[in-house]
Amino acid sequence: MPDLLSLQNVSKHFGGVQAVDRLSIGFAPGKITALIGPNGAGKTTAFNLIGGLLRPDTGSVRFEDNPISGLNPWRITSLGIGRLFQDVRLFKKMTVLENVMTAFLKQEGESLWRVMLVPWTETGPEKVRREKATELLEKVGLHHLAGTPAENLSYGQQKLVAIARLLAADARLLLLDEPTAGVNPAMIHKLLETVKRLATEGKTVIFVEHNMEVVRNMADWVYFMVAGKVTSFGSPSDVLSDPEVQAAYIGRHTTEAKLTLGGESRVETSRN
Amino acid sequence: MNYLFHIAVMINIYIILSLSLNLIVGVGGMMSLCHAAFYGIGAYIGTLAMVNWGWSFIPALFLSVVGTAALSLLISYPSLKLKGDYFVLGSLGFQSIVFIILYNWIDVTRGPYGISGIPTPNLFGFKIQGLPLWFAFSTTIMGVCVVLISLIMDSPFGRTLRSIRDDEIAAGSLGKNIPWFKIRTFAVAAGFAAVAGMMFSGYMRYIDPTSFTIMESVFILSIIIIGGAGNLQGPIIGAVVLVVLPELLRFVGMPDAIAANMRQIIYGLAMILLIRWRPQGLLGEYKFS
Repeated sequence: MPDLLSLQNVSKHFGGVQAVDRLSIGFAPGKITALIGPNGAGKTTAFNLIGGLLRPDTGSVRFEDNPISGLNPWRITSLGIGRLFQDVRLFKKMTVLENVMTAFLKQEGESLWRVMLVPWTETGPEKVRREKATELLEKVGLHHLAGTPAENLSYGQQKLVAIARLLAADARLLLLDEPTAGVNPAMIHKLLETVKRLATEGKTVIFVEHNMEVVRNMADWVYFMVAGKVTSFGSPSDVLSDPEVQAAYIGRHTTEAKLTLGGESRVETSRN
Repeated sequence: MNYLFHIAVMINIYIILSLSLNLIVGVGGMMSLCHAAFYGIGAYIGTLAMVNWGWSFIPALFLSVVGTAALSLLISYPSLKLKGDYFVLGSLGFQSIVFIILYNWIDVTRGPYGISGIPTPNLFGFKIQGLPLWFAFSTTIMGVCVVLISLIMDSPFGRTLRSIRDDEIAAGSLGKNIPWFKIRTFAVAAGFAAVAGMMFSGYMRYIDPTSFTIMESVFILSIIIIGGAGNLQGPIIGAVVLVVLPELLRFVGMPDAIAANMRQIIYGLAMILLIRWRPQGLLGEYKFS
């Protein structure tokens, strides 16, 4: 099956720092893929390149085989790519329900003419959006908090609302930037269950994560990045047993040569 | 009684101005200091159409709203690039430029001489003359504006605008076309300010650029800061308080020369106290940070 999303020879630098270096990676549809690596490896930059917050210096990002690099974030989202930010970024002054209702794409009531001249035509669609948003909150187990201001939620609950928001935006590809960071253990379980269920329902998930237990339990595939390049790819057990990965995460020493793998960043590994 | 009608007409005009600025500042989160520019552009476009071309009030009002909304692009477009404090300065620049044009383009605006003899609004043969009629007319127009603005605020458009205010990057990543929302917000707010401008011009029957200075922009913003931003009731109560307050000073027997200065001191003091102890204003929901 062709990749849903691919980065082809993508590079991005900030001043003298090469954040992403000729990166060529692909993501299979309906799978959960982890992007791991030490701080500064280029994982979040890769997300920013996919989501349109950054434009690549070279190379291209393709979604369903169409080029998307250079498009505005809102255009990319409307194609079906949604992002959970590392710092969540809920609309904190708004209620949980409003957060989710805002995310529906192409709302008729976003037309000023319609709102001012025929306001009664909005009643029906708004009711439908309210019901759909409530259903999505039920899906993430937070419907009982629908009327609560988002700023009053725990961090884990905020992340679940953000996921419900992505679903409302009809995202088929979910980019989750450190979904479990700062979340209490009980809530991590709920969060992961939700993400796994979404994948079984056909969503494609890419997540950046530092918790290797989470990676082992969640991911179908893992990319390990160092200095803007992928140096290891495969199943979680393969990648996590790689000495270089172990060195990065549990401090085991390895050779300098292995740590700075050069050349091609594409790691050819069968994913079938 | 006529005196009370006059105060009520002025309150109605400032309610329209503060509620429309509230769309930009309180709902959209863009601190703008150029609302008097839209107010003035609206007043001048419609008035010139009536005085120079003999247009009647309704078509002139329509031209004024459309023209001012279109000219709002001159500030809404830069707002896409200028963030935070830089946008405040940009809006201040826009306000100054508009004032300078109104003041110096004498062939068109008659500059400091102003435009006098502005015809009374004529609605399908019915002239709005006398303070009781002006009170009824301005209250009706204000009521229509309040309903329209409340429809906007309660709609998905208003909800998305609040989301942009809370977190622009997150709103963009949810598929919201941020530039398009900002441009439309400025256009609709400028359109409402133009309505207020036409009311002012028709009521006073004389306009000159000194009614549309930076001080007027600051005054409209003060209404929002003191009354409260982000909802309907804040700007409305703010307009009532700030229009009525200086009038009350007349009744304590203060000479006019001192009362004018005292008014400025009271505004300043009220703002400092509110920002310190009640940053959301008297009845607002949005805290200025």
